[in-house]
Amino acid sequence: MNRRQFLKTSAAGILATPALARLAGAQESPFRVKYYPVASGMGSRDVTPAPDGTMWFCGQRNGTLGRLDPQDGSFKLVDLGKGAAPHGVIIGPDGAPWVTEGGQNAIARVDPGDHKVTLFRLPEKEAYPNLNTAVFDRGGIYWFTGQSGIYGRLDPKSGDMTVFKSPRGRGTYGMTITPKGDIWYASLAGNHIAKIDPTTGNATVVDPPTPNQGARRVWSDSKGRIWVSEWNSGNVSVHDPADGSWKAWKLPGDNPRTYAVYVDDKDKVWLTDFSANAIVRFDPVTEKFNAFPSDKAGANVRQLDGKPGEVWGGESGNNRLVMIQTVAPA
Amino acid sequence: MRLSAWLLLLLPLLAYSPASAMEDGALLFTPCRACHSLDPNERGLPGPNLGGVIGRAVGGDPAFDYSPVLRKARDDGLRWDAQRLEIFLADPAEMFPGLWMSMRGIEDASERKALARFLADPKAR
Repeated sequence: MNRRQFLKTSAAGILATPALARLAGAQESPFRVKYYPVASGMGSRDVTPAPDGTMWFCGQRNGTLGRLDPQDGSFKLVDLGKGAAPHGVIIGPDGAPWVTEGGQNAIARVDPGDHKVTLFRLPEKEAYPNLNTAVFDRGGIYWFTGQSGIYGRLDPKSGDMTVFKSPRGRGTYGMTITPKGDIWYASLAGNHIAKIDPTTGNATVVDPPTPNQGARRVWSDSKGRIWVSEWNSGNVSVHDPADGSWKAWKLPGDNPRTYAVYVDDKDKVWLTDFSANAIVRFDPVTEKFNAFPSDKAGANVRQLDGKPGEVWGGESGNNRLVMIQTVAPA
Repeated sequence: MRLSAWLLLLLPLLAYSPASAMEDGALLFTPCRACHSLDPNERGLPGPNLGGVIGRAVGGDPAFDYSPVLRKARDDGLRWDAQRLEIFLADPAEMFPGLWMSMRGIEDASERKALARFLADPKAR
């Protein structure tokens, strides 16, 4: 079945597939793990929870944005347009999903009601930015990264967009916003993190102490500390902008490859390790790790997000979403 | 139809030359540069060095730590030629499920051919 036929089929009705649940291990309770199969060959990757309890997820391989209902495992796919290759999705102040849509070189807004797609295209001179990740600031401005070495801002109200060159060129990848409203990004090829001044648009580089660490993604905790997933070193590190300090820990196992990072509502740190094919929990208080290997090879969870009590990711290699419950059900 | 009208119709075909195919390939390689280099001296990027990739073993950059599926392909003796590369570019994860690299495949066969030709040309390095 080609992509067009598939979309036609999926648009005809809601697809329902059984969710699969298992416990990660009796000693690790209450960390129940649940899998949600989605469409074959879609490359389900970045996810974000919608205000209504559904989950949005990007289908990078088939150019769709998916919407999963965790209640029954059913999902819908929204075609983002010809050649679409969505990478990241976040919820805007308007409650809609906003997508870094690299295939059409645009920021895409999908209306949560009728699933109408609105594109905000990048300027023609920025033809190959490799759009990656985004955050909304407190004023409702959408900030985004492009791995070719740019970051930018979009005012959703006016549609005005400005693109900035990253100070050290290519690699601009994950992005986060602190509780105070500061915006940071990570540079994978540039081996650093940087803070953006939203007034001037300038970025100030901060070098982690581990050389060539491959800082891929960042996530702020409740205190404004920046947690970093280091792909090359296999570390998780944390930078406290208040005093300029750094700490780093190597993930367990042989040759870890730390891809994603997410900090939950209890300030516990969740990571993915491609070498271990696992989601990994790190407790900054005890400095201990818990690994949750996938039950299928090649899961490749490239991003994590969540809501109180739940961590979510997309198994891009297995076309499934995965959810780990972080609190015991009532 | 008058001669001038025929010429107008033929103009795009006349303009398409190996040189423009190379330019297309170079352009198509632009997004790949976020992770890959063709300069053999440039190391430490998120993706393997692609200088001389055609003719090389799959997973064959000795300085790069490949995903398990590409390590297996290397161990199985697979090598990159233009045809394999063009099929790969159509949907990389279809050819190598579980690949760590993440990208949507290139739908247009002429674009895949242009990119493979560009990567095969030593002048591109």
